[in-house]
Amino acid sequence: MRDDVNQPDYGTGKKKLSIYVIGFSLCIILTLIAFGSVMENLFSRSQTFIIIYAAACIQFIVQVLCFLRLNTQTEQSKINVMSIIFAGVILIVIIIGSLWIMRNCNYNMM
Amino acid sequence: MHSEQIVGVEHHHDSDSTDVFGFWLYIMSDCILFACLFATYIVLNLPGSPGPDLKNFIDLSDVLIETFFLLFSNFTFGLAMLNVYQHRIRKTQAWLLISFLLGMSFIIYELKEFIHLAGEGFRWDYSAKASSFFTLVGTHGLHVSCGLVWIILMMIQLSLVKDESILKRRMTYLGLFWNFLDIVWIFVFTIVYLMGAL
Amino acid sequence: MFEQLLFGKLSLAAIPFDAPIIMGAAIFMFLAFFIILLIITIYGKWLYIWKEWITSVDHKKIGIMYLILSGVMLLRGFSDVVLMRLQQALAAGSSLGYLPPEHYDQIFTAHGVIMIFFVAMPMMFGLLNIALPLQIGARDVAYPYLNSLSFWLTFVGAMLCNASLVIGDFAKTGWLAYPPLSELYYSPDVGVDYFIWSLQIAGAGTLLAGINFIATIIKMRCKGMSLMRMPIFVWASLCTMILVVSAFPVLTVSLALLFLDRLFGMHFFSEFAGGNAMMYINLIWIWGHPEVYILILPAFGIFSEVVATFSQKKLFGYVTMVYAIAVITFLSFIVWLHHFFTMGAGADVNAFFGIATMVIAIPTGVKVFNWLFTMYEGRIILATPMLWVIAFFTTFAIGGMTGVIMAVPPIDFQVHNSEFLVAHFHNVIIGGVLFGYFAGITYWFPKAFGFRLDENWGRWAFAFWIVGFFFAFMPLYILGLNGFMRRMEHYSNIMFQPYLITAAIGATMILIGIFLQIGQLIVSIKNRHALRDYSGDPWNGRTLEWSVASPAPIYNFSELPVVNERDAFWEKKERHIAEGRIHPKNIHFHPIHLPKNTAAGFIIAMFAGIAGFALIWHMWIPGIIGFCGMLVTIIARTFDTNIEYTISKEEVRKIELAHLKEMINA
Repeated sequence: MRDDVNQPDYGTGKKKLSIYVIGFSLCIILTLIAFGSVMENLFSRSQTFIIIYAAACIQFIVQVLCFLRLNTQTEQSKINVMSIIFAGVILIVIIIGSLWIMRNCNYNMM
Repeated sequence: MHSEQIVGVEHHHDSDSTDVFGFWLYIMSDCILFACLFATYIVLNLPGSPGPDLKNFIDLSDVLIETFFLLFSNFTFGLAMLNVYQHRIRKTQAWLLISFLLGMSFIIYELKEFIHLAGEGFRWDYSAKASSFFTLVGTHGLHVSCGLVWIILMMIQLSLVKDESILKRRMTYLGLFWNFLDIVWIFVFTIVYLMGAL
Repeated sequence: MFEQLLFGKLSLAAIPFDAPIIMGAAIFMFLAFFIILLIITIYGKWLYIWKEWITSVDHKKIGIMYLILSGVMLLRGFSDVVLMRLQQALAAGSSLGYLPPEHYDQIFTAHGVIMIFFVAMPMMFGLLNIALPLQIGARDVAYPYLNSLSFWLTFVGAMLCNASLVIGDFAKTGWLAYPPLSELYYSPDVGVDYFIWSLQIAGAGTLLAGINFIATIIKMRCKGMSLMRMPIFVWASLCTMILVVSAFPVLTVSLALLFLDRLFGMHFFSEFAGGNAMMYINLIWIWGHPEVYILILPAFGIFSEVVATFSQKKLFGYVTMVYAIAVITFLSFIVWLHHFFTMGAGADVNAFFGIATMVIAIPTGVKVFNWLFTMYEGRIILATPMLWVIAFFTTFAIGGMTGVIMAVPPIDFQVHNSEFLVAHFHNVIIGGVLFGYFAGITYWFPKAFGFRLDENWGRWAFAFWIVGFFFAFMPLYILGLNGFMRRMEHYSNIMFQPYLITAAIGATMILIGIFLQIGQLIVSIKNRHALRDYSGDPWNGRTLEWSVASPAPIYNFSELPVVNERDAFWEKKERHIAEGRIHPKNIHFHPIHLPKNTAAGFIIAMFAGIAGFALIWHMWIPGIIGFCGMLVTIIARTFDTNIEYTISKEEVRKIELAHLKEMINA
């Protein structure tokens, strides 16, 4: 039986073995790239910085698309995507905002 | 689904979508919780912060192994999900067991690392850098540990509960939770370990 | 050793036998508690209370319990007010008043914590529970069991705070417990721990309730009620709950990190080893600012409902109202630094947050104008809810304006932490939040209880509140501009004393207002048959909750409504009136599935309370018991398959026909 029948609709796409395997392989590759560039000292410091952050963000997207199967096909999945985007915005505001404020305070007061 | 609601006869399945949405919202709130821990970690690890550096104590190959444990267990959990949709209970429990063992290995490695760090003087009460490290990584580890307990309970319930839709729904919760933990770990190893080693 | 694990730091020395005021309050609390238990026992109501209220998962009952909690805690929070106002009125020049500083500090801390967490938040959730599911045409909230758990967790948090009055001390740090004062070195007693754990437990309850209501609003609206046909109260509640789910994790983290510093000697906020106290202040206000919007947005929603109903005119500018709420929700996340302009950030950071703060006043202004335009050319009925709304317009406008004044960093440098600030936030909280919730309570009281509140007593209570408010807080603005700082237990310049005496008189008037509200309640209960609401629609309302009986039957709607416009109930009434019929009641009966009552929420919360108390006093064995108890109950509940019951067709018919008969015979 194809593995995407019989799946209830919870607002994410159908889970399929093929997509899982693709996602899994991509994650392994991205993890190895990130660790490799740090452990083997292949690039300059700022280049490594960009590589590991890019690898992390791409792996995040791969996991969200391939494992969580987030999409915008149904009404519920659109709401799920909106909530993750909203949470992401708040998250970024908190982290960047805190960094900006605390560095500013540290500079002015210490 | 809606039509059943109008007629006033509520079915289980109708409310399942609402239940999973609620769990998704909880996951979003947990993301914000981790965001605060990350913000605290980054702020307290700005250049110039006193105390020993993490890089002196960490072996990245260990972290890589830990990462693969968690990533593999995420994948095997996905396989368990596929099996529960086909109502293949035994196979689901088997893949859950494998996910559990992989997750358990992750926790054991992490505990070993913590004990090693504490022994070397990188203790949680020694500096702000250490406090934020142990709290961020420890909170993630605590979530994983709760997930492990939950996996065991799920394996038990798969044998005891007969209602398919309940099993699928609860596996969905656990799947979301387990997946989310791997996603958080991506950022933990990047921001804490890889950045720490640079 | 075993005794240490069992009792921790707890001993009889924790009870302040030598402090007469505290002992008096404790005796009063115990007496009140004891008398209530006695009454329940005499009337043999224990089974009833357990079956119908404590284990209830019915949103209407849970809402009433939230309101009772907030009412009781209002009395405690207000006794703090009386103590403080009296102290400040007396302690001028060489007089020291009657309250020593360590006691005064606990009073203003407890006052803030109680009013925000155990009066305003429960009042909000109470109103949400009573009105919201009915307004969207649903039978209950999305997660009734979680609803019960949320209430009991809040209750336990409040009880921990009450316990601190008698056993040990409360925090002396102000309601936000800034480090380093709240660190173990400067606050070695259990006060800050009480603060941390009562808030963590109540905060968990609130977070769960936030998730519950978002799911309810998104997923359980009746057919035809698209998002843009929802009542504005529902929109306001949706955005509020989004704020709750986004902001409360930040509170959890802040308090947890403080706890880790205190218990494990970590260095998040300590003065050395790399700790940074400003990070706590940063985090707590990332929560704190959205928190005040969590409080005010439902009040805005209530105003929209009340203004439209009592002007007998549809709300002006529905779409702009929705956008205004959404914009306020988003903006409330990028203004938090205005709470600590003076604490070291540079001009660039201050400027950004100052401007953002001023911008957030704009959508609020839009809403106020829309309410005024709704009233314009309406046929206004000055019932008590409407009086509260009108009072809100002036009061909140003044408070908002002083807020915009303080949004300018250079001005804030002059008035930060002075009584000007205190006057501002009480102005917006009382004028906005409290007046709004009072309007909501008077508005929805008939729906919850089946009879209206006495109008006369309501008007007198209102009069004393509004006049008392101005007497109590306008002097504080002047004091602040003259340099009088907040939280002062005594002061040397006696020129300030007349202002503080005026403030004390104002507080006394508000106290009379509260007594009149209690009186209103008692009189209304006595006259409940005369004040009975037979039709379910005492105010000629516009939204769906007025289409069912008062109080609503347990299943809310015998048949879930189908709507195709805003204010569908009002429109139907207009058309049916035009067609010469009384307003419609559907007469269809089917069996209805409802969730069963459960003790799980109550039990989990009780164990959480035990765990919290144990963590405060370092009683490790009770702590483990409490924590395990919670876990076991949660897990056991998941094995419970018998969680629903059915109301038969005949039962539904009986209830509906009884209501119709009552309406006809009225």
